Amino acid sequence: MPITYYKLPNGLRVILSPDSTAPTVVTAVYYRIGFRVEPRDRTGFAHLFEHMMFQGSQNLGKMEFIRLVQANGGVLNGSTRFDFTNYFELLPSNKLETALWAEADRMKGLAITDENLKNQQGVVSNEVKVNVLNQPYGGFPWLWIPQYANENWYNSHNFYGELKDIEAATLSDVQAFFKTYYAPNNAALAIVGDFDPEQARQMVAKYFSAIPPAKLPAPPDLTEPRQEKEKTATRKDPLANRPALAFAYHMPPRNSPEYFAMGLLDQMLVQGDDSLLYQELVKKRGYTGDVSGAINELGNMFNYDGPMLWTVSLFHDATVKPEQILSAVDTVIEGLQSKPVDQSLVDRSITKIRSNLYDTLGQFGGFGRADLMASYALFDDDPGRINSLEADFRKVTPQLVERTAREYLRKTNRTVLLLEPGAAPPGAHQEKSK
Amino acid sequence: MRLLWSVIMLSAMSSEVFAGPRETPPQGPPPKPFHLPATTDFTLPNGMRVTIVPYGNVPKIAVRAFVSAGAIDEAERQVWLSKLNAALMKEGTHTRSAEQVAREAAEMGGQIEVDSGSDFTSVGGVVLSDFATRFVALVADVLTAPALPASELPRLKADLLRELSIDRSEPGALARERFLKTLFPGHPYGRVFPSDSELKGYTLEDVQTFYRKNFDAVRTHLYIVGRLEGDLRRAAEGAFGGWPKGAPEPGLPAHPVKARSLQFIDRPSAAQSNLLIGLPVADPSSPDYIKLDVMNSLLGGSFASRITSNIREQKGYTYSPVSSVSTRRHLAYWVQSADVTTAVTGPSLKEIFYEIDRLRKAPPSGEELKGIQNYLAGLFVLRNTISPDAIIGQLHFVDSQGLDRSYLSTYVQKVMEVKPADVQAMAETYLVPSKMTIVVVGDKAKIADQIAPYESAAQ
Repeated sequence: MPITYYKLPNGLRVILSPDSTAPTVVTAVYYRIGFRVEPRDRTGFAHLFEHMMFQGSQNLGKMEFIRLVQANGGVLNGSTRFDFTNYFELLPSNKLETALWAEADRMKGLAITDENLKNQQGVVSNEVKVNVLNQPYGGFPWLWIPQYANENWYNSHNFYGELKDIEAATLSDVQAFFKTYYAPNNAALAIVGDFDPEQARQMVAKYFSAIPPAKLPAPPDLTEPRQEKEKTATRKDPLANRPALAFAYHMPPRNSPEYFAMGLLDQMLVQGDDSLLYQELVKKRGYTGDVSGAINELGNMFNYDGPMLWTVSLFHDATVKPEQILSAVDTVIEGLQSKPVDQSLVDRSITKIRSNLYDTLGQFGGFGRADLMASYALFDDDPGRINSLEADFRKVTPQLVERTAREYLRKTNRTVLLLEPGAAPPGAHQEKSK
Repeated sequence: MRLLWSVIMLSAMSSEVFAGPRETPPQGPPPKPFHLPATTDFTLPNGMRVTIVPYGNVPKIAVRAFVSAGAIDEAERQVWLSKLNAALMKEGTHTRSAEQVAREAAEMGGQIEVDSGSDFTSVGGVVLSDFATRFVALVADVLTAPALPASELPRLKADLLRELSIDRSEPGALARERFLKTLFPGHPYGRVFPSDSELKGYTLEDVQTFYRKNFDAVRTHLYIVGRLEGDLRRAAEGAFGGWPKGAPEPGLPAHPVKARSLQFIDRPSAAQSNLLIGLPVADPSSPDYIKLDVMNSLLGGSFASRITSNIREQKGYTYSPVSSVSTRRHLAYWVQSADVTTAVTGPSLKEIFYEIDRLRKAPPSGEELKGIQNYLAGLFVLRNTISPDAIIGQLHFVDSQGLDRSYLSTYVQKVMEVKPADVQAMAETYLVPSKMTIVVVGDKAKIADQIAPYESAAQ
């Protein structure tokens, strides 16, 4: 895929990737600030802040950003993830300049009021209620399992936020967060779609080059210690009817050979109904109707930068005990640790991951491609990595799969989370606090 | 971490000051023309319809057959039988075990998906284009020659019982069940969940009969969309040509209820109330349908819409309110949904009805309408380009509603022709509060008083 990558003098990373399949264009701005790195007394703040980016800037008052994109025939969104917060628009291709102007406007600064903040605290509290507090299995396992598996606060706090923390945020918190992290030298801008790269380059310079860079704080230490003992946690869910089980293993370091092997192990074990755990737990034993799993449950195996978990989860009946499920899982995993897998299984996993990669890159009118390129620009200074991923997976051998399974699918590298229907005993505090 | 935070606090001392007049956004050049991808349509001698659409340069292809067989074909005590049938269809064919089917599809970079809905069951998947013709044959095998093995039935029933139990614990699902039950009494569209005992009682013979009665060539439309490789027409003819023609679907007209009622489901200590408010409206074949689409987008169907602006962006009562025009075959209903904080259940209802009334009483400004028209025109391009499955979705909608394909080619023009007075007329004609069904799932002790005034339309 064609990629032009350069930096403006103020440090903004710019990635241009033209594709004339449809007369549309994706404009995506990624800031290198995710929910891992948020103030300790303000859990959920990175995400609350994301909402504030829609509340007004110098030339666009409240609701005007949203109306501008809509009235030009586009859709927009923002999301907060482990290691970035993103904002993107998908518009008819003739509206690229409009999108660049609007994104630059809010990169220059926010113009918001206490009333805007109060309003979004209400919206975000409702978001947490609808997705977690008022939902059976809310937050299972994506919000909970990192809190049990990780030891470092940055990786193990409640990143959706405690309601009291969300409600305690002030306007000066918002302005401070903006000044610290929302600078061009902490951001990447990706443009994908039907546009002329030379014209885009000029427009980017026109709207973004005058935005001053900021002095960025030193990145905190995100590392996790090597896990040496299996952990098991139980949560009660008063809204749930059936038990559920999740388990997670710490991933190998990003971009290492073992990391790519884990990408294939994920395919072998849980992706698709040909996968080994689906065949074992669903088809053969009938313990559950489906097995889901992912490297990075809030994205994919490419768009994060820091410690990560490979997580698997399923729902089951009370008549099936967690020990039975885990013992069946162990049997399958031991099979991968005791001898090299068949080359045909490796080949099939590569086919699946290649097919999956095409979907990711084509996802949502080119947004998926922008997402990966912006992530690689921010984390590795190399968005062109998207063109070599397939080759990296092809280097994985059956021997490497076996070695990776032995080290990373060790039981002692595992955290098990059991969800049981029913109310927690009075006084019990289920939130993980460290 | 404390240190970092105090640094942030210091830098916050100077607050943002903007001076000077506001800039207006650059408009950009005129839009590039958009042409819908060309389709090739043909019918096999057995009556099965096939549509092939070359699209995109990503080497992937979607192959999906829609059979008009679904919940609508279930008898009164057969709720979810179509779902059980769909699950059993994945359990192998006369010549391939389930594991073989799964493995072959995986070797093509995809998997076989069988999904059942109100009116249709779809069988298909998305694979690497290199394997397009082989995948057509695999889809045909699963669709036309499923083994429906007795051995897997108890396990699949246990899975569906678990799914049912989990569904029943979700407040949104409970609201939806009550809403559809109220709108479609006595019709399969209104039967969302079976009872446990009903589900437990289904036999292999029930499934076999359901399949035999409802799956045949004349009720099926195959869509193949993506980067095409190989002779797909021949592949479709070869794989499906021998399937018996069968008989067209019997159809079962529904007569949705248009009457005011307040339906309440108590969910003690719920943090939110789930609201659904709606009623039947004109179906897709009506000349009003596109105007309704515009009216809906302006009222509650988009981020910048009136109801969302009001209860989310002004009041902060909710996170994701949305209204939509939902369709079944040859009918449609409008529904606004919102999950709101318990304490503001009454005020949320008040604001939703306020916005409905406001639009019924006065037309929107030309500028507000123009914004929505541009939005729908842009969305139309996205819906027809974003993925092979999105394109299939558009074509299947038009075909299954019995519309001419020109519905798509004239859609943008028709959206652009809508006048402010049309929008008001649509709200006035169709969104009649005294005929709406209101469903509230929430904490009775806290909200009974708040919702009592909505029992009748006279507030």
